[in-house]
Amino acid sequence: MNGASSPPFDREGAYRQYLEGLLTGNRQQCRDCFEQWLEATPDLLTIYEGLVMRALYEVGEQWEHGKISVATEHLATAISETLLNLTYPRLFARPRVGRSAVISCVANEYHQIGGRMVADLFEQHGWRGYFLGADTRVSEALALISEKRPEVVALSVSTVAGLPRLIEAATEIRRLFPNLPILAGGQVFRWSGREEVEQIPNVRCLAGLGELEAWIKGATPHD
Amino acid sequence: MTEDAAVAGAMRAYVEETAPVLALRLDARHRVAEANAEAHRVLGAHLPGRAFEELIVDFTRPRDVPALLRQEGVVHRLNVATTTGTPETIGFRFFPLTAGTLALGSLDFREQQSLREQVLGLNRELNNLTRQLHQANAELRELNQLKNQFLGMAAHDLRKPIGVIMTYGELVLDEAGKELAPPHREFLRTCLRAATGMRQVIDDFLDLSVIESGQLRLDAAAVSVAEILTGIEPMIRLLAEKKRVVLAVDAAEPARKLRVDAGKIEQVLLNLVGNAIEHSVASQHVELATRWEGPSLAVSVRDEGPGIGPGQQARLFKAFGRAGGKKTGGERSTGLGLTIARLIVEAHGGRIWVESPPGQGATFRFTLPGQR
Repeated sequence: MNGASSPPFDREGAYRQYLEGLLTGNRQQCRDCFEQWLEATPDLLTIYEGLVMRALYEVGEQWEHGKISVATEHLATAISETLLNLTYPRLFARPRVGRSAVISCVANEYHQIGGRMVADLFEQHGWRGYFLGADTRVSEALALISEKRPEVVALSVSTVAGLPRLIEAATEIRRLFPNLPILAGGQVFRWSGREEVEQIPNVRCLAGLGELEAWIKGATPHD
Repeated sequence: MTEDAAVAGAMRAYVEETAPVLALRLDARHRVAEANAEAHRVLGAHLPGRAFEELIVDFTRPRDVPALLRQEGVVHRLNVATTTGTPETIGFRFFPLTAGTLALGSLDFREQQSLREQVLGLNRELNNLTRQLHQANAELRELNQLKNQFLGMAAHDLRKPIGVIMTYGELVLDEAGKELAPPHREFLRTCLRAATGMRQVIDDFLDLSVIESGQLRLDAAAVSVAEILTGIEPMIRLLAEKKRVVLAVDAAEPARKLRVDAGKIEQVLLNLVGNAIEHSVASQHVELATRWEGPSLAVSVRDEGPGIGPGQQARLFKAFGRAGGKKTGGERSTGLGLTIARLIVEAHGGRIWVESPPGQGATFRFTLPGQR
């Protein structure tokens, strides 16, 4: 028996180091912490909520309170977004369930990390999550929906200013694909917009990644 | 103190201590007489006494500083050496003083902002492309698995009826051949040759699907080079005789053993030597040689055929690459033999490649590590 055992994973310590790395622009420090989390848990939701989102919300708060500049906040997002790539070798190799989702940020929406996490969560559960990226025109989303014929579409928006475009996109998708479920998500729904968006038939607003995971689990066929 | 004087004082203090503006007072000889805090942060600590010209990075020609300083009200984009080690473009304006010049410079805010947006946008695109690449690779792997399953199932199901056709064809030829007219006997032989070729194709498909789907199991055991060669020599000698090709087999230290799946390595050798013979004409030489390189066995199969062009070499070991040259006896194959050989050699931890200088035939080489 091997007597040497590695010390238990210090989740909070790794989180603090990650946050410090984001605030100082230390990519390598962030990468090391991300890899520690990745090694400690195979669960994407735990990493995305417990490390990435938590850190970015804290970065956002520091920006709101004038402790850091918008440039630092942008850099923190860019570092985090790049680190999501580290999950992909494992994520995309998972067994498929024969379902797919198209995930899109609405036009003029440049915060795409949330949408990417949504797309990745679909992949984690064996779905194909086709992600269209930031600032996507409705026509591009419609073209991909026509091509991939997904089981669901997810639209992401982060600011109140983006809500009308989300409603416009959802209405257009509903007109052309009457039975296709649409999920809407993003930071804005923490404060407003939920009722207005859910007036469109078969559109559901989700409060966060946890709620999304529950939805995916419910819609995933089981053997 | 008047309001104006208070404003001027505050602005002066702000520029001297805090503002992200480079302020340099130059003397009549264009040397730095005084610099604000930002200038020291950006350009370095030892500014007083330095010539303004020294601060500017010029890659092609020195700047005519006196001419620059005379141009009032114009923003000059000058590159300066910074403490970070990278040059920075600063927009300078010059204001004449009684004895010297005041130089005020700053970064172009809009340019910096635009640059940041571009870099962030590029980062987003790169990340999305990385994601798409991983996704596309995963989808290709799935399709490849499906292809292997299909190939495996189709080949497996075809193998049995081909076996039946060959068995009964041979039986008819043996037992009733004499009663057939000579042309009909030849028809039957043609059928059997075609069936043999088809079985080879099916075997290649089966081998490829098994190896590519990761189901290849090596039955490794310690075996001597001589034992491996004994297993294939009768067959390759027969092939060589049929085409009147001169075959030489040369093994160094044939009794020495290595741990391999002998059956699979024989398959590789049969394929390489068979190819070499098929691409040769009568009286040409084919040589199979083995030698030890430390613990590894190095194998080469050399022929004097037409050789393989550089463009074909790159595709040679890829499945369905269709890179094989024309065989001299019109022999047909799936072109999968070399792919299968590569996969078998790689499964043993070895490497396979081809050398074919123009006009000197081709030499296929592979190595097998001795201790694994």
